[in-house]
Amino acid sequence: MVPPWRINEVLDRAKNGPFCREKDFDMKILWPKLREAVKEYDIKFDPENIVPSDDSLADDVWMAGYNLYLETGTLCKSTNRRILFDEEEVKEALALHPRKIRCGFGKDSSEMFHREIEDKRRPFCFLSPDITCDEEIFIPMTMAYLQEPIADGVCAPILEEIEGRDIKVSDPFEVKGSIAHAMMFREAARRVGRPGLFLKSVGTAISDAAQIAASNQEWGERLTDSRFVASIAELKTDFSLLNKMVHFHEYGCYIGALFGPMKGGYCGGPEGTAIVGVAHFLQGLMVNQAHWSNYFPIDIRNNSNTSRELLWVVSVTYQAVAKNSPFISTSNGFASAGPCTPMVLYEAAVHGLVSVVSGGNLWEIGVACNKYKNRTTPMEARMACEVGLGAAKEQVKREDANLLAKEIVSKYEKEIDNPPLGKTFQECYDIRKVKPSEEYIELYRKIKKELEDLGVPFLY
Amino acid sequence: MTCLKEDLIRELKKEILEGDAEKARGIANKLLKRDFDPLEAINRAVTPAAKEVGEKFGKGEIFLTDLMFSAEAMQAANQVFLEKLSEQKRETKKIGKVVLATVAGDIHDIGKNIVKLLLDVNGFEVIDLGADVPSSAIIDRALESNADVIALSALMTTTRPSQKEVIDILREMNVRDKFIVMVGGGSVNEEWAEEIGADGWAETAEEAVKLAFKLIREKRGE
Repeated sequence: MVPPWRINEVLDRAKNGPFCREKDFDMKILWPKLREAVKEYDIKFDPENIVPSDDSLADDVWMAGYNLYLETGTLCKSTNRRILFDEEEVKEALALHPRKIRCGFGKDSSEMFHREIEDKRRPFCFLSPDITCDEEIFIPMTMAYLQEPIADGVCAPILEEIEGRDIKVSDPFEVKGSIAHAMMFREAARRVGRPGLFLKSVGTAISDAAQIAASNQEWGERLTDSRFVASIAELKTDFSLLNKMVHFHEYGCYIGALFGPMKGGYCGGPEGTAIVGVAHFLQGLMVNQAHWSNYFPIDIRNNSNTSRELLWVVSVTYQAVAKNSPFISTSNGFASAGPCTPMVLYEAAVHGLVSVVSGGNLWEIGVACNKYKNRTTPMEARMACEVGLGAAKEQVKREDANLLAKEIVSKYEKEIDNPPLGKTFQECYDIRKVKPSEEYIELYRKIKKELEDLGVPFLY
Repeated sequence: MTCLKEDLIRELKKEILEGDAEKARGIANKLLKRDFDPLEAINRAVTPAAKEVGEKFGKGEIFLTDLMFSAEAMQAANQVFLEKLSEQKRETKKIGKVVLATVAGDIHDIGKNIVKLLLDVNGFEVIDLGADVPSSAIIDRALESNADVIALSALMTTTRPSQKEVIDILREMNVRDKFIVMVGGGSVNEEWAEEIGADGWAETAEEAVKLAFKLIREKRGE
């Protein structure tokens, strides 16, 4: 059985639930209840335990997030009404949620599934640039990601222009750009010989109208692909997002819930961020009725999640979800450094390691603080996924992952607020041949060897 | 008596740092009852507390919610002092007027809210237009209010073109020079700010406040 189950219930509640001003939701409901939950469950971040081995911590974070969501629900910003669910409804949805889905079609299809802590099964590897690119390099950049053998799914870069015109949210060029994005993505997948691969699209489309315009089995988004319905930080939605939810379900494609609780924002510290993370998983289930999710806790100060604190959040949230729910989820990395630097490869490696050992699949990886057009390559994602595959195959234990993670993090943590920008895709790749530069290949080999010497397992 | 007043100043700072609006208002009233000069109270308690709160947020020692509670406490105390100053027909001068918005198409407002709080507590007058604000509405409000600064936030790379649109329209209306335009947000970097012709870019909310001070001073030739 796959969602959705009760679309109208969600929409009714978004229109008729209890009225609540946004500031009251943030300050009088979410924050006091969250502070109470951190205290009640005695959840504490420990910088020496990036990957904690304490099962009770995972259970506590789950229960804290579960109870928090039952109390807060989701605020619909379009109506200032709270969408609330009772425990019976949440239990029903959790019990009926699938533990695996078949993604893509034909020879290129694969299964994305719920992973356990220290699971030895190969994680699902989603490769994504997570940033904008020049229109001229959209196809080569997308092909570069699609042709990575490790990829089970791919997301394309985002267009800022179409046919030389600026794309702006909700204007007609956004609709044009989104359709072109979907068409070029399909073309790129065919050109690398993987036409049936699981594609996540359309990143260029922010508005509901532009997303809906790209749904087309013949040239655009297919039923075997997936689309995102995001949550607004923290624990909010609006009509545009609900419009997408309705359309995607009725169109029949997979829905991924996308959420990134912000450490330093309404979540407070790492403890609160992990708890709100669990609550977001439940919002994805109950409001978006998603089949899978992509989770990226992030630091409001530097737009990355490879610090000790954020890796701890990644680890404890995935452990909580792995132990207590059927959720299928990818862990989305965000690195501070840019391409072709040792630092970004360390960041990618540690994010892949921590996520997989803690029970996540992978979505790798936004780089250069996710701020610079064209500044991404598949090499960073390759590193994260290679480490993830090795960790699963060797069934790395949490204690060992923790030691390795601390060792790797110590190599770059002093630079995390002032990271090297690295190079652009065009500087790292021969874009005509879609091949990485010798310089980057050499650097990759060097860092991989260094990590192997530290004890990080690789599959090949 | 002096000793008691000094204690009250210390207490007011403490309550602002702890974000207790009711206590801060109570202490502000007590200070006025003891004939403490309201402007001196602002300068000796509210302003240094604001500075400390901003610094702690910048270092990651406190979080957004702490900042919001502290801002409420500051506003509560300030309201008491400003009412007294108004009774005394004394004026307090704001550093500058800022029209602030998350641009069209972007519904993310956490970063913008932090900038608002820090500008508020540092003595700016802030007109917060909210999130997903059409470019024309931002410009209309800036013209109507005779603002010094237009500050534009965009979290997503796909929404930051709306920052450019605001600047383009200002140019087209021949009013670009009337305003300082600052940009920021998760997707914004120095390259982008230069490309679209903004006057400045700030990576963090604390830097945005410093930048606003600097650009206003420069514009006024101070």
